[in-house]
Amino acid sequence: MLTKLFQITLLATGTLIGSGLTPASASTAGKVVEIKGEIIDTWCYFSGVMGDSDATRGTAHHTCALWCAAGGIPVGVRTEEGEVYMVLKFKGEDPLEQSDTIMEIQSDIITARGMHYLRDGVNYIVVEDVVANDGITYLSHEDYDSVPPFSAPKKKK
Amino acid sequence: MIFRALLASAFLFTANAHAADFSKGSKAKEWNLYGEEKALFSGKVVDILCELTGNCAANCGDGKRHMGIVRSADNQLIAVLKNRQASFNGATEDLLPYCNKMVDVDGLMIGEDEVVTTKFYMVQLIRISGEDKWNKTTRWTKQWRAKNPEAKGKGAWFRRDPRVKKQLAKTGHFGLGLEFDAKYLEENE
Repeated sequence: MLTKLFQITLLATGTLIGSGLTPASASTAGKVVEIKGEIIDTWCYFSGVMGDSDATRGTAHHTCALWCAAGGIPVGVRTEEGEVYMVLKFKGEDPLEQSDTIMEIQSDIITARGMHYLRDGVNYIVVEDVVANDGITYLSHEDYDSVPPFSAPKKKK
Repeated sequence: MIFRALLASAFLFTANAHAADFSKGSKAKEWNLYGEEKALFSGKVVDILCELTGNCAANCGDGKRHMGIVRSADNQLIAVLKNRQASFNGATEDLLPYCNKMVDVDGLMIGEDEVVTTKFYMVQLIRISGEDKWNKTTRWTKQWRAKNPEAKGKGAWFRRDPRVKKQLAKTGHFGLGLEFDAKYLEENE
């Protein structure tokens, strides 16, 4: 009986270690980080629905990023190396608060300080402070115009 | 010897879980997205912040937090980016009624990024685990109308959304200012 119990425990432990998984409902250890990156719309960036990932950043995609942020699609911070941190809180606010906070930083390059959590290959960040905001620096409209095309400005009737 | 065999079995089991094919039985609609794979699975709907940190809010944040699904088959936290609607809508409004409940979901895993190799989920159908009737994930627009009664009118919601309009009025469509937009219009007439 004891041997069987030992075997089951060993199997469970081995499985968790091998997978890098966390037991359900257990908190994940976070660590303080400072990262610099562009505020992006994670859906358009990862899915390819609007074209390649470079087209879904910067000026070309700014209006679409506003639409997606207002639509409740998770916002991410994309570093120069291409890592993406999904924002779970931003300066004390939940990300889907109906406020302007998350809208005002779309497509900006920010330096964010906060708590980083990694689970199952996804980076998450609770942004506690924005140390610097360089604004929009990636002039992607020069290559991609407006993405999607119907997000371009229109003359008022 | 027994120890090695058990450990090897455990790792083999894990490898299989990672490579598991969740497409069997899926009726998800194809979108032809990067790395798209149909995925039908069961799991628990969670507030991601709560799941990761223990910072939990009533009713999973009541629509203000991003939500995910802890997949029963392998205990992976699946980040859900999108519902089934085709107009820039996230998934929280559709997951919220199932906060902390066991569900079956059908949809698409997407993504084939070189750096971020994990896939993300688009949930198209959801039901309480074991129930017969599936529900389409189309709650977003109705909830938006309820939150924005002043934005009544014709056309897509994103053309009328007060927060979007406020930002566009400040930064322009490219984020480079209203003068840039005016110049763009002149050059693209």
